[in-house]
Amino acid sequence: MILIGEDLNVMSKEISRAIKERNPEPIRHCVEGQTQNGMDYLDLNVGPVAKEPGETMEWLVKTVQEFTDLPLCLDTTNPLAMEAGLQVCEKKALINSASGATESKETMLPLAPKYSAGVVLSVINDAGLPADAEERASSILDSLAFANEQGIPNEDIWIDPVLLPVGVDQRQVAAYLEFIQMIPDLAPGAKSVCGLSNLSYGAPKELRGLLNHTFLVMIGRYGQHSAIVSGFDKELTRINGGELPEIVNLIYRAMDEDDMDIPSLTQKELEYVKTTQVLMGKTLYSHSWLEV
Amino acid sequence: MIRYEPPLERYSANIREAVLGKGQRAIKIGGENTLPFHSFEGSLPNPPGLALEIRDTQPQNWAQWVLEPFEDVAFDPAAWAKKCVEVFGSEILCLRLVSTDPLGRDASPQEAAEITKKVADSVDVPLIVWGTGAEEKDSQVLAQVAQVCAGRNLLLGPVLKGNYGEIAKAALEYGHAIVAQASMDANLTKELNIALCKSFPPERIVIDTTASALGYGLEYTFSIIESIKQFALTDKDTMMQMPILADFGGDCWRTKEAKESKEQGILWEAITGLTFLVAGADLLILRHPEALRLIREMISE
Repeated sequence: MILIGEDLNVMSKEISRAIKERNPEPIRHCVEGQTQNGMDYLDLNVGPVAKEPGETMEWLVKTVQEFTDLPLCLDTTNPLAMEAGLQVCEKKALINSASGATESKETMLPLAPKYSAGVVLSVINDAGLPADAEERASSILDSLAFANEQGIPNEDIWIDPVLLPVGVDQRQVAAYLEFIQMIPDLAPGAKSVCGLSNLSYGAPKELRGLLNHTFLVMIGRYGQHSAIVSGFDKELTRINGGELPEIVNLIYRAMDEDDMDIPSLTQKELEYVKTTQVLMGKTLYSHSWLEV
Repeated sequence: MIRYEPPLERYSANIREAVLGKGQRAIKIGGENTLPFHSFEGSLPNPPGLALEIRDTQPQNWAQWVLEPFEDVAFDPAAWAKKCVEVFGSEILCLRLVSTDPLGRDASPQEAAEITKKVADSVDVPLIVWGTGAEEKDSQVLAQVAQVCAGRNLLLGPVLKGNYGEIAKAALEYGHAIVAQASMDANLTKELNIALCKSFPPERIVIDTTASALGYGLEYTFSIIESIKQFALTDKDTMMQMPILADFGGDCWRTKEAKESKEQGILWEAITGLTFLVAGADLLILRHPEALRLIREMISE
């Protein structure tokens, strides 16, 4: 799976200050760390950028490109900042994001063909987040038709089914799993992407990795193309790089509800099995899901 | 001739049976291995428990219709309790320790425990004892009540995320059951039950999702109760297999519809309660004796 590192984010106080002060050092640390950890893209989340949107994004893109050769995923809701960033990207960039909501698709989508960029297109529309897999399908079909008319081929569209925290709405996680399996039929050639860390938002901090890693394996099996992830998570890149095949195999077996000799599993293996069951919607989630 | 066989669901799990009170008039709730009123599919060994609410303090702002039946006793909790049992046939009582509210009179745990004991001594039916929801104060009050009423198997609540440890410890030591309350959230209900069950027997826990009145959020309560019951029976989730309590009298009698007329108020409470029984509640706390009578009549048919 293609991994997009999410750590360059204005939600981080350090990054926010560095951008404000135009100080490249904290940026360098963040960019190099994620690059060394094997990310394929870097997400530059600058938020809505109320002040000097164009100048800020231009500075950030140029600064980041001094420290890495990776392609960039520009993450802002401000179309001015987006366009300024796209103008200075050296590699084919990814626009993050557009949705099916009228304003978003009308302002963001035209930028993709103009700068030969890819674009993240979420299933959200004017009515909000679709409730289940079918509604996601119907929403994305409308948005795809619109995007194709704008001259964006499916290959440049990265569909975001929108992943909600498992602790907020477990049924939405199940809907996500159902929907990604429909993507090849709905949109041949299109890619898929998600904000993986959102899955574990609100979960106990020490257990977030377990949820994220397990889900990465699960959606990988269903053909997920890429994910925006914690760029410093070493175990995640190891799993994604095929270094832990026994864990992957175990998660597959739990997905298939194979009979397993539970007492023979190690503590760690049991944790992956329990987590898979929660993410499949077989067991009700609670923050203590490992304790039962 | 081909006979039609209706398809039936069979569940291999069941709701735990909880015992309230002691002796001859102890009451069992829960124990079912099927959905509410689905007696054609499984076993429903115990009818839902119906409790009338009494207070340690004379109510100040109750609608006149709901105060009316208790006007002669509302100043004396023990007399109120007796009337509920002897005149209105209540098989369970819920004593609310309103006086302990830290934002109100802030009565001491000792005082609250003495009143509780007096009430418990005046009747022989099971007693639910309810704090004010102020976590810290409730943990002192309910622990004291547990001690003073040792061995009576009271049902103490609400036990919350922030005070479950202290109350569960006292309940365990002095032989009582508890109500675990997490507001309108199945995940948090499970979370609290997991935490409690590390040191407390699950068969002495009752779930409270918090409940709202008809027209004022009833459907949220309905969905939560219904889904907890399904997690318990269909998914065999052992941390959800506790009987469920619905407590909505206050919400019902606060509605403008209930305040408008006596008949409307009674029906409002009865229909709300009946709806929660259909959703899967095993125990209701009611205010008006006529609502109790109506519900009992409807479910006995």
